[in-house]
Amino acid sequence: MPAILEIKDLDKHFGGIHVTNHVNITVERGEMSAIIGPNGAGKTTFFNLITGSIPSDNGRVVYENEDITGTRPEKIVKMGMVRAFQVSSLFLEETVYDNVYLAALSNFGKNIGMFADRLSYRDAREHTEMILVRTGMLGCRDLKASELSHGDQKILDIAIALTLNPKILLLDEPTAGMAPDERVKMMALLEDLHQYFQLTTVFIEHDMDMVFGIAQKIRVLVQGELIAEGTPDHIRNHEAVIEAYLGKEVV
Amino acid sequence: MKSLRQYLPWILYFVFFLGVLAVNPGAHYTHLLARVIIFGLYAVAFNLLFGRTGLVSFGHALFYGIGAYITGMLAKASGPDLFLLYILLGGIGAAIVSVFIGLLSLRLTGMFFTMLTLAFAQLAWGITFKLYNFTGGDDGIQAIPKPAYLTGPVWKYYFFSFVVVTICVFVIWRISRSSFGMVLKGIRQNPGRITFMGLNVYKNQLVAYIISAFFTAIAGGLYAGLDGSIHPDMLHWPTSGNAILMCTIGGMNTFFGPVIGAAILTGLEEIVGKYTEYWSFSIGVVVLVVVLLFPRGLLGIKWPWGRKSTTEEKETEVACNTGD
Ligand SMILES: Nc1ncnc2c1ncn2[C@@H]1O[C@H](COP(=O)(O)OP(=O)(O)OP(=O)(O)O)[C@@H](O)[C@H]1O
Ligand SMILES: [Mg+2]
Repeated sequence: MPAILEIKDLDKHFGGIHVTNHVNITVERGEMSAIIGPNGAGKTTFFNLITGSIPSDNGRVVYENEDITGTRPEKIVKMGMVRAFQVSSLFLEETVYDNVYLAALSNFGKNIGMFADRLSYRDAREHTEMILVRTGMLGCRDLKASELSHGDQKILDIAIALTLNPKILLLDEPTAGMAPDERVKMMALLEDLHQYFQLTTVFIEHDMDMVFGIAQKIRVLVQGELIAEGTPDHIRNHEAVIEAYLGKEVV
Repeated sequence: MKSLRQYLPWILYFVFFLGVLAVNPGAHYTHLLARVIIFGLYAVAFNLLFGRTGLVSFGHALFYGIGAYITGMLAKASGPDLFLLYILLGGIGAAIVSVFIGLLSLRLTGMFFTMLTLAFAQLAWGITFKLYNFTGGDDGIQAIPKPAYLTGPVWKYYFFSFVVVTICVFVIWRISRSSFGMVLKGIRQNPGRITFMGLNVYKNQLVAYIISAFFTAIAGGLYAGLDGSIHPDMLHWPTSGNAILMCTIGGMNTFFGPVIGAAILTGLEEIVGKYTEYWSFSIGVVVLVVVLLFPRGLLGIKWPWGRKSTTEEKETEVACNTGD
């Protein structure tokens, strides 16, 4: 399987803390994988580095055989590497529909239109509706994003990412702060999206049911260091991982 | 019904500003209304940046002044025949200047952006003062000629302003409702997300800044012809502050709110100004009352006949995802 994303010797310090410690990761096309690790391990920072949110101290990010180190984040998004956020990042005063529609405008390059009514782009409208149906948000299309439950806000955040036609989707704790039934729903949604769009998906997660339930591959970050990588079975029995993070109860 | 509500403000706009001509309120009040409509354009142009994009410029007096001085000086130097063209050139001049100021100040955010725009405008104000031979210093420029079709009774100039302003406001209205306008609204609410939608925040802000500067200068150019006199105070910081006040009073998250704000500001100056030169004190009071009672401005008030409340919809919030 060819690699879609190769991270080589990525390194980052915040003051004295070594948040990303010479990390090497190869993401294969089509994989559904998880990144786990204790709070403050540097998981979000890792996403920030590869999506261009913050500059790295050292290392390279190669995406689709192109070195994208230092590329502006909006360009990286346009190239197909798209993220959703740990704390959902929405347009709270806008409707669910408009949140997704704005992403659709960007996806079709219709964001520059200045005189035509914003809703006059049929391709963007149809794409928006397709995404709303796929993510199960059609029923609340006219609610404002601020009126959604926490769980639905997380789904909307992912819906926005999905609208941008990603080749690789990076999700930062999709179930953060969710009730158990919402978690189950999210798990089903991610599996559906992975299959339906053949979408390479990398998600950061603390919920071990989710991680061991749907990830084909798990990577473990501890204090900025990639300490283990492999199948769920491999990780479940990995001594260093159990010691540093999983504890005994998961086994 | 949605389309009727969407055009209702326009209907009221035409009924009011044209109806005034039919009523013929006399030279004094026609002049006053000309000021309202010119300030209205200024406020609407400013609000594309302020209410829409969320950028607090405290330097729009610069563009207002550029429009006024380019129009005034050209008319004075080469005669008034091409007055409309001079107004347009004022807009273009301001747009060019705004590219440079925008490129620099939009690198900063929040208060730092605001302060830098103020600094540029104050600098221009100072220069206008000093360049006596060119700008007339603090005397300004008087007796700016107008073309024959605009001289005589003041309603002629009022009607001319009305036509120019209406075209400009209509264009800004279309821009607000376009997909570009939607991006600007997104930038105000969550610029970080705009970036991760694959859009460049800085470029979009810059375009909004240039458009805003252009139309602000058109308003300034119109003002130059109204009294045939311009003065450096037009570039002074209170002119920039007035734009913020008009939008805040009228409602910065509404399209026509700034026009209401312009009417109130002008009206207060007229009424209270008769009794005391400290009329701007009354503006302070009005702003205070509006901000405390109606933080979204007068047009931002949730009128009973406006958009229906969403409280009933709230009940269904958890049901959102039960469909699958
Ligand atoms: N912009 C920043 N400046 C300084 N320190 C930062 C910054 N961002 C993160 N950190 C620090 O870097 C470390 C890693 O943070 P990060 O958010 O990547 O952790 P995480 O693994 O995502 O944790 P969590 O599971 O709690 O989300 C933490 O100690 C955090 O305080
Ligand atoms: Mg995190």
